[in-house]
Amino acid sequence: MNNSTLHARDLVIGYKSALTPALSFSVGPGEILVVVGESGCGKSTLLSTLAGVIPPLSGEILLGKTNLGGVPIHKRSIGLVFQDPLLFPHLSLIDNIGYSLRASGASKKSARLRATELLEWVGLSEIAGQKTWQLSGGQAGRVALARAIAAKPAVLLLDEPYSALDSATRLRLLADVKSLVTREGIPTIHVTHDHSEADLLATRTLTW
Amino acid sequence: MQTVQMITHESFVLSPSFVSDLREQGIDLQITSTGDAGTLTASSILAAGAPTADLLFGVDNTLATRATSEGVFDPYTSPELANALPEFAQDTQGGYLTPIDFGDVCINSDDTWFKQNNVVIPTTLEQLPEIANLLVVEDPATSSPGLAFLLATVARFGEAWPAYWEELRDGGVAVAGSWTDAYYSQFTLSGGDRPLVVSYATSPAAEIVFAEDASITEPTTSVLVDSCYRQVEYAGVLAGSENPEGARIVIDALLSRKVQEDIPLNMFVYPVRADATLPEVFTAFTPIISTSVSLPPETVNEELASLLDTWGTVMNR
Amino acid sequence: MFTFLIYPLTKLAVTAWSAETLSELTSSTLWQVTLRAGGQALLSVGLSLLIGIPIARVLFTYRFLGRGFILALVTVPFVLPTVVVALGFRALFGDAIPNGLILVVLAHAYINIAVVVRLVGAQWSTLDPRMEVTAATLGANPFRVFTSITLPALRNSIVLAACVVFIFSFSSLGIVVVLGDGSSTRTLEQVLLRSTSVLLDFPAALAAAILQLIVVSLVFFISARISRNEPRARVVLERERIGGRKTMFIVAVTCLVATVLVVSPIASILWSSVSSSGGVTLQWWSDLASTQNTRIGSPIAALSRSIGLALTTGVIAAILGGAIAIAVMSKKGFVVTLALIPLGVSAVTLGLGILLAFSRGSFDLRGTGTLIPITHALIAVPIVVAVATPSLRNVDPRRYFLALSLGAAPLRAWWTAFGTVFSGVMLAAGGLAAAVSLGEFGAATLLSRTDSPTVPVQIARLLSKPGESAFATAAVLSVILIIITMSLLLIVDRIESRKVIT
Repeated sequence: MNNSTLHARDLVIGYKSALTPALSFSVGPGEILVVVGESGCGKSTLLSTLAGVIPPLSGEILLGKTNLGGVPIHKRSIGLVFQDPLLFPHLSLIDNIGYSLRASGASKKSARLRATELLEWVGLSEIAGQKTWQLSGGQAGRVALARAIAAKPAVLLLDEPYSALDSATRLRLLADVKSLVTREGIPTIHVTHDHSEADLLATRTLTW
Repeated sequence: MQTVQMITHESFVLSPSFVSDLREQGIDLQITSTGDAGTLTASSILAAGAPTADLLFGVDNTLATRATSEGVFDPYTSPELANALPEFAQDTQGGYLTPIDFGDVCINSDDTWFKQNNVVIPTTLEQLPEIANLLVVEDPATSSPGLAFLLATVARFGEAWPAYWEELRDGGVAVAGSWTDAYYSQFTLSGGDRPLVVSYATSPAAEIVFAEDASITEPTTSVLVDSCYRQVEYAGVLAGSENPEGARIVIDALLSRKVQEDIPLNMFVYPVRADATLPEVFTAFTPIISTSVSLPPETVNEELASLLDTWGTVMNR
Repeated sequence: MFTFLIYPLTKLAVTAWSAETLSELTSSTLWQVTLRAGGQALLSVGLSLLIGIPIARVLFTYRFLGRGFILALVTVPFVLPTVVVALGFRALFGDAIPNGLILVVLAHAYINIAVVVRLVGAQWSTLDPRMEVTAATLGANPFRVFTSITLPALRNSIVLAACVVFIFSFSSLGIVVVLGDGSSTRTLEQVLLRSTSVLLDFPAALAAAILQLIVVSLVFFISARISRNEPRARVVLERERIGGRKTMFIVAVTCLVATVLVVSPIASILWSSVSSSGGVTLQWWSDLASTQNTRIGSPIAALSRSIGLALTTGVIAAILGGAIAIAVMSKKGFVVTLALIPLGVSAVTLGLGILLAFSRGSFDLRGTGTLIPITHALIAVPIVVAVATPSLRNVDPRRYFLALSLGAAPLRAWWTAFGTVFSGVMLAAGGLAAAVSLGEFGAATLLSRTDSPTVPVQIARLLSKPGESAFATAAVLSVILIIITMSLLLIVDRIESRKVIT
């Protein structure tokens, strides 16, 4: 994995027709930047902007030396995990995890093989045959994480993930995330309204 | 006050005085329409013996035999029929029906187009194949004037009619699905590219009556007299009626001079009554055509299906 | 449902039945027509989906000024009398495309855009856009996102819409008569009409009707099997506001294209309402109140009659359809499709059946003026059920149990849980049924009193007469029909969006 640093320079994003102040930050390999702010302050908009869903009003986003301006979502190599796991209901768990591999041209067989490994890695190999909607919240959350990791993203963006789960499950999953991104050296931005999560995860904290 | 129910087709129109005059005679006439003449006849056959009304107006000479042979009607001949034109006085379809009005299906020509393009307006059916690419007809399987024109060619050419249609086909005749399409989108008068259309003998008069500009007093279309097929519309008392007595009174009323004179400008057909005065626009521009042909109803009844099949084969439809 | 659907149809079948029907059923011509009509209907389905899905996407996932207007506009072709649509297509393509399959398929797609837009759109608005974003971040390009995520998620509504469009195109009559070529485009409905009204060959007509019902039931059965039984999203998402120049561009282009698509075929008819051989005129509009110019009854009277019928139909359909929707909402998709089968019974067949069943003796409903609204309601109820059931299913049933646990009586608890959505949905469905009634022709022409036609019947009668004022008055009535339909849909849409999206 070719790990580069994500830079935001003088980034201004529009939110509900109000502008945010210009933001500048860098997140290096293995770093976790936790952005803490009240609900509805535009944290999700920041992640959407970084992922390329909406364009910034001004400023630039760089991955290493590459300027991401104008690069479409699917070519940015940025993993995004939302509050809800958002598993694709018409696909099996294995095909959910293998989705990115298929999208980048892998054969069905090799994608399934790799997906099975990842399912094992998140400790769910015994439920491989279940439908997405039969999973518990914690299980679905782990499948979503495995699906994001399978794409080998250069940057991981977490939008209050698992906030619908009970706090014990959530904290356990977050600990998994932390060990994963540290080990793989993926620059990560995590937004939350919960200061305790910042204490647990952050290598740096940005309070909005 | 007694109630009389009449079923008819959707083209039936008379002045409101028709109903109000009957009311004065103690008859409350309720009129229902059921599709076109064909659908009307079909529904009356399906309900034969237990009808949905007391009398029916609008069965024509193409379908009359079928309806009378299915026991749809009780015999009745109106005494008023004595006042009808000679050719209708005995035309009761075996005593079951009373003729009320008649009309002709004829080819109409857009005279302005012919004048502008220096083409001679055809006067006989025989001239048509040569200029068939100027003519639009209707599909006889979906359109009543289309069927009438087919029957006109059968009456005229007998066994040789398919050969005539082959010539029309090779000459480039256009076939429309309905009169509305033929007249309003293919006829040159409405912006189409065919100056000859199968329509009605009275269409030129209707063009004047329904023009926007009241100063238009002469039609720009005329009728190819040689192409006309006669259609007669009948009324009859439905077998099993709850009020046959009332139904007979209504049929007599339909033959009264007042109603007969009301018919032309409402339905654009001619009254059967000999002493009915025709409106001026009729006498001036669409006089009664004496050369119209028609097939005996029995023949139509027997051969209709095979005629349509043959026509479909010839025209490749 | 039994009284007004099964009884009249059985009565009609029994009256028309004879041994010949069986031999007619095996006639090769009939099967050939069935196959060709099936092919034609498939093409019509394909084109309707191709046009309808992008429009559904824009209208149901974005929020913008004029959205309701465009939605109402694309519904107009669905309620226009087919004779008006057919004439419009002849005027637009008359020289370029000869009568035949292509023209018929184009016209069917035109009429059915609304079916696709409304059914697919309704499901699209419950689709979480973050699902697509997630797929994109996983490296899927927009095309792949659409085919592998969006389409499968919309599968049930697409299948349902395809099914409805197939039925309409398979049993089409007015369009194939005017725009078809008489052979390759023939439908069973056309065979049925020819057998009933020209040849008076009832066994053959019955055979065609039976075959049609079989095909329709088969199509519904297949579609029910294809539909997925998965838990539905329980949210109706707020529509996205347009952001960014690109989306604004897409929305603008789609709306423009939709407007051009809807308006261009009927432009010539709209124009006829204000023009004459002498140039531009408003005479046809000012003449509207007089009966003299057309001699077939006052257009104003027809208008008020049609509106009255539409409102009655709306109420009946909302009540009847609502009752059915409640009954089937907890059942599987299969039952919903069963409720849709009446769509496949032709209006003419139904009209004849009702005429025979209720026009005499102790069942004489003709004089009461209820036959048309009842028939229209029967035609509209399946549409009401199709629209209402998904929304009712979207409500979390736990709300009901919650209300029960708080001490509410069952009826009250039900209303607490479903009432808001229910009343909104019923209003929308009633409105749609009223719109269907406004445009319905086939049954109305069989059941109206001669002196009191509905607007579509009036239009068809005018268009079967020669003369400038007949055509122009028909054009004026068509314009008025469009305006009334659009106002009705706009009002209903407004109320619906207030009630459902809470």
